[in-house]
Amino acid sequence: MRAAKKTKLLAKQLFKLSVVNGAVSAEQVAGVLGWVEKTAPRQPVTLLKLYRGYIAAEIAKSRAIVEHAGAVTDATLKMIEGAMTQKYRRVVTASAKPNPALIAGLRVRVGSDVYESTVAGQLATLSSAV
Amino acid sequence: MSNVIEQIESQIAKLSSKAVKKNTGTIRTVADGVAKLDGLSDVMYNEMVQFPGGAIGIALNLEEDEVGCVVLGDVAQLKEGDEVATTGKLLSVPVGKALLGRVVDALGRPVDGKGPIDAKETYPVEKIAPGIMVRKSVNQPLFTGIMAIDSMIPIGRGQRELIIGDRGTGKTTICIDTIINQARINKVGLASGAKDFRPVYSIYVAVGQKQSNVVRTIAALEAAGALEYTVIVSAPAADNPANQYLAPFSGAAIGEWFMENGMDALIVYDDLSKHAVAYRQISLILKRPSGREAYPGDVFYLHSRLLERAARLDGKGSLTALPVIETQAGDVSAYIPTNVISITDGQIFLETDLFNQGIRPAVSVGLSVSRVGSSAQIKVTKQVGGKLKGELAQFRELAAFAQFGSDLDAKTKAQLDRGARIVELFKQPQLNPLAIEMQAAILWALQKNYFDSIDTKQVVAAANSLKDYLTTRKADLLASIRNEAKLSDAIEAGLKASADEWKATFAAKK
Ligand SMILES: Nc1ncnc2c1ncn2[C@@H]1O[C@H](COP(=O)(O)OP(=O)(O)OP(=O)(O)O)[C@@H](O)[C@H]1O
Ligand SMILES: [Mg+2]
Repeated sequence: MRAAKKTKLLAKQLFKLSVVNGAVSAEQVAGVLGWVEKTAPRQPVTLLKLYRGYIAAEIAKSRAIVEHAGAVTDATLKMIEGAMTQKYRRVVTASAKPNPALIAGLRVRVGSDVYESTVAGQLATLSSAV
Repeated sequence: MSNVIEQIESQIAKLSSKAVKKNTGTIRTVADGVAKLDGLSDVMYNEMVQFPGGAIGIALNLEEDEVGCVVLGDVAQLKEGDEVATTGKLLSVPVGKALLGRVVDALGRPVDGKGPIDAKETYPVEKIAPGIMVRKSVNQPLFTGIMAIDSMIPIGRGQRELIIGDRGTGKTTICIDTIINQARINKVGLASGAKDFRPVYSIYVAVGQKQSNVVRTIAALEAAGALEYTVIVSAPAADNPANQYLAPFSGAAIGEWFMENGMDALIVYDDLSKHAVAYRQISLILKRPSGREAYPGDVFYLHSRLLERAARLDGKGSLTALPVIETQAGDVSAYIPTNVISITDGQIFLETDLFNQGIRPAVSVGLSVSRVGSSAQIKVTKQVGGKLKGELAQFRELAAFAQFGSDLDAKTKAQLDRGARIVELFKQPQLNPLAIEMQAAILWALQKNYFDSIDTKQVVAAANSLKDYLTTRKADLLASIRNEAKLSDAIEAGLKASADEWKATFAAKK
């Protein structure tokens, strides 16, 4: 139990080192990996898995994944990027991901927030309301 | 021109298809009805979260990078990696008169197969109890129909009176009798059309009980015609612990609706020992630190916030609570019993010994109190039953002495005889609550020594024959006791005439 706690704390510290100016820095991550390899801390696999989780969550926060059923123009992506950058006060990059199950409309995911204006989503809310 | 219309229409379309924002997460683990979730960075404490497949959860543990959540419903179809979304809503249940006569689960969904419930409103399950300013002191009676309780441990509307005792000592029976009595009073009162009559609606919350017991309770209420004034919230032993934990709070929300809308309600929590056990299970699985008897530290707060919701509100209605606690071998100093005793306004203690001696209801008069009830007692009961508690206490003391078999003086013997008769008179079969006017008439006869010449073994039969006599011949007298609620000269004369007449016929029959 204690060991697990220490590993978690260390992973958190390494994660904090890897974020520079609110964004994950590839350089820092490489440095952290090098340090882990050299010093071989306890429970390295658990440590790296935790570390990976934190980094992935952080990256997801500055990435807008735009799921769509029809076509999405670059202009739309740019607009979403702009809006999300302003909303979250950090640089957010948008990428498109086709998903025919949505029927029509868009679903934008930033971190754990989801913005939905799809027909499928509206149907789901409707069906849960009846 | 059509161009303009199109513009407006596209604007409308834009507005109506406005994107909805949700906060989502994924399931990390599901075990024992508790899910640990990743993400859900915006979730609130006690917020409802939506699982795939319609199951609902409640976020109970908010940690740095994980959310602990109890799942209400089927966990079998949930798996790791499933997406979970916040709803922005706190858990709420349907409330209102549409629920009367129905059996619902902890989420207010009907489980009696009588079709959907047409409720117009919902109330949040967790709600802060009414504050000091809006409360009013308890001074209206709530009659249980049990003579030993109404005369010596009276309960008022808005009070919280604990029913405590070992397994199988008649705790549930007292609560059911009380509910049935409310239904009888409601029927009489509503039929009379009196303007200031306030009916009492009942809510029976069954937590962690055997399904068969709940069915028996429902059948008893239905047979007595009390179901139409009662809502039953059922979270039986086979239900998951999250539902058992929530059921009393859902019941309280249903009761609060009556209170907030100017009506009086009675809620029975049967029982809070099992509720505490369900909460302990959830807390242990959520890895909250455990304390005495492995209960979590906030089990006191669990019950205090629940029972504080019972109140009498100024200018509105009231909610009276009868929590039930099961003790082990009569030990009231265990953790949960002491907690609940300290939160309530008194307790009715049921003793196994008395129960086995055939003294039923097995109310231990010495250990039972009602801290606010006497101001809620009607005058006639005070007049005829004011001294009973003292007399019974004296009787117990003397009875202990008398066991040594030494010669007793006449006065002691008289006191013993009288005590034994009071004990007999307070015996009452189950599902048979007595109207307050009938209780008053019987106690008046006791006070005026009408039972003294009757053999102790015959007292129960005598009381029954007096009841029969009064119901069949003296309905007017009973009605005037009920309406005046005090012993006027006319009533006392009426009682004397009836008692004399009855005594003559009773003696003649023998
Ligand atoms: N006044 C009474 N007269 C006769 N029998 C009674 C009386 N009260 C209760 N009983 C009987 O005693 C038994 C136990 O009663 P009850 O179920 O109310 O007890 P309980 O304390 O709620 O039990 P449990 O701990 O199982 O919940 C029942 O079979 C009931 O019929
Ligand atoms: Mg019971």
